[in-house]
Amino acid sequence: MIAFFSWVHQALTWGTVLKMVAGALIVLFFLLGAVTYMLYFERKVIGWMQLRIGPNRVGPLGLFQSFADILKLLAKEDIVPAEADKPLFLIAPIVAFIPSFAVMAVIPWTASHVFTADIAVALLYYLALSSITIVGIMLGGWASNNKYSLIGGMRSAAQMISYEIPLGMSLLGVILLAGSLNIVDIVEAQRRFMWFVVPQFLGFCVFIVAATAELNRTPFDLPEAESELVAGYHTEYSGFRFAFYMLAEYLYVFAISCLGATLFFGGWSGPLLPGWLWFAIKVTAFIFFFFWLRATMPRIRVDQLMSFSWKFLLPLALVNIVLTSIIKYWVNAG
Amino acid sequence: MNAVSSWFGGFIWTGQTVAFFLLAVLVVLAAVTLLQFRKVMHMALSIGLVFLGMAGMYVLLGADFLAFAQILIYAGAITILMLFAIMLTRHDEVEEEERAGFRQWIAGLGAAALGAVMLWAIRTTAWPPASAQPPWPAQKSVNALAETLFTGYVVPFELVSVLLTVALVGAVILARKEE
Repeated sequence: MIAFFSWVHQALTWGTVLKMVAGALIVLFFLLGAVTYMLYFERKVIGWMQLRIGPNRVGPLGLFQSFADILKLLAKEDIVPAEADKPLFLIAPIVAFIPSFAVMAVIPWTASHVFTADIAVALLYYLALSSITIVGIMLGGWASNNKYSLIGGMRSAAQMISYEIPLGMSLLGVILLAGSLNIVDIVEAQRRFMWFVVPQFLGFCVFIVAATAELNRTPFDLPEAESELVAGYHTEYSGFRFAFYMLAEYLYVFAISCLGATLFFGGWSGPLLPGWLWFAIKVTAFIFFFFWLRATMPRIRVDQLMSFSWKFLLPLALVNIVLTSIIKYWVNAG
Repeated sequence: MNAVSSWFGGFIWTGQTVAFFLLAVLVVLAAVTLLQFRKVMHMALSIGLVFLGMAGMYVLLGADFLAFAQILIYAGAITILMLFAIMLTRHDEVEEEERAGFRQWIAGLGAAALGAVMLWAIRTTAWPPASAQPPWPAQKSVNALAETLFTGYVVPFELVSVLLTVALVGAVILARKEE
């Protein structure tokens, strides 16, 4: 099984191409399933936190609720507003979705790295590709030709660009400690040393705040603030294009949870249980944290948003980098 | 030997050559459509596509770090900056179709001459013999880049950062004057 999917060191024959496509499809369907149950999990968890029951009608315990919702979305009419910029309106959700799936290539799912691209600059790859999604979101907001969509798209782009910088900076501490941009190497470094959440606690705090903002989730869900902007950049979207935006959003929640679990909590490494199970437990804990946050926090004010990123998070991340490099130099020298 | 490979002489079809031609077609098409589009928004998008295609070229050349830095900065940040600039200014402007005239002919001649010069330069340069091995192992390209940048070229590197800071401060001062 493992040898079957290690196509990196093989010549490009039709057989290898077929294996690549098969691997990509397996990951795609796994992710679709994961997102489906994340939606269910989110509604259940938030329901319980608000003393409600949550979905419980479709299937036992409401387990098929998300499938029913997806089926409804796919069956809906694909409406394009008359005044919209048609070609841009049509491709924007796809531009937003493709990078969200492509970033999964560098996630080390298990100890044997099935389906994991061993890229030397994996972290940079993740950050670079996720920045393309912003283009898709902004285009969607603009092409809709609707003032709420436009404001939502602009807010989203401004917010994601601003918080991408502290996010990248918070990862630099981890990179300094591991001495590599390769996620597989970072996990190995944590197995030899300790989970990076301990020496990089400051970096972890910046990471989790910046990640929440990057995901446009509560308390940073201003781009979709339904009480002021209807739904933000995807107001005009319906049917499967709307589903693409939602899919991209939830895939990023999943991806950033994977990234957090890998960079700060040792990824698949752990005692007794097999690697994939440890990874699943850590990722689920992260996802639960994001849902918990959504049920607990009020929304941040729009005038506080930018100054919080540039005047508080970014300096904190810079302090973390300087401290980490000084301590690492001091330890290595002494 | 089938017909196709005999046209290209010693040309070998590997995944890399296929990827190269796909990317080359993508970049050229995006660049041509950039000139053909009449709406600024569409132009900004196709220039983003050119940046992406160039990043693919860098990957093929074994420069992973450069490729993803290119995506992060050019395809991501600079494209978004352009979109912002377009949205915040008059974006409904549509470029007029230009009639074919004397200037077009001159431009065509210039382009043809440039192509001829480049072809001549490429044909006459003595290229180092091709090898399957990149000059450094793929996993070490970041370290090689960092070592060159922070030892051999540390002064130019620092000077560039000073230049960028000056440009940033200058932009802020220029924007402030408007008030």
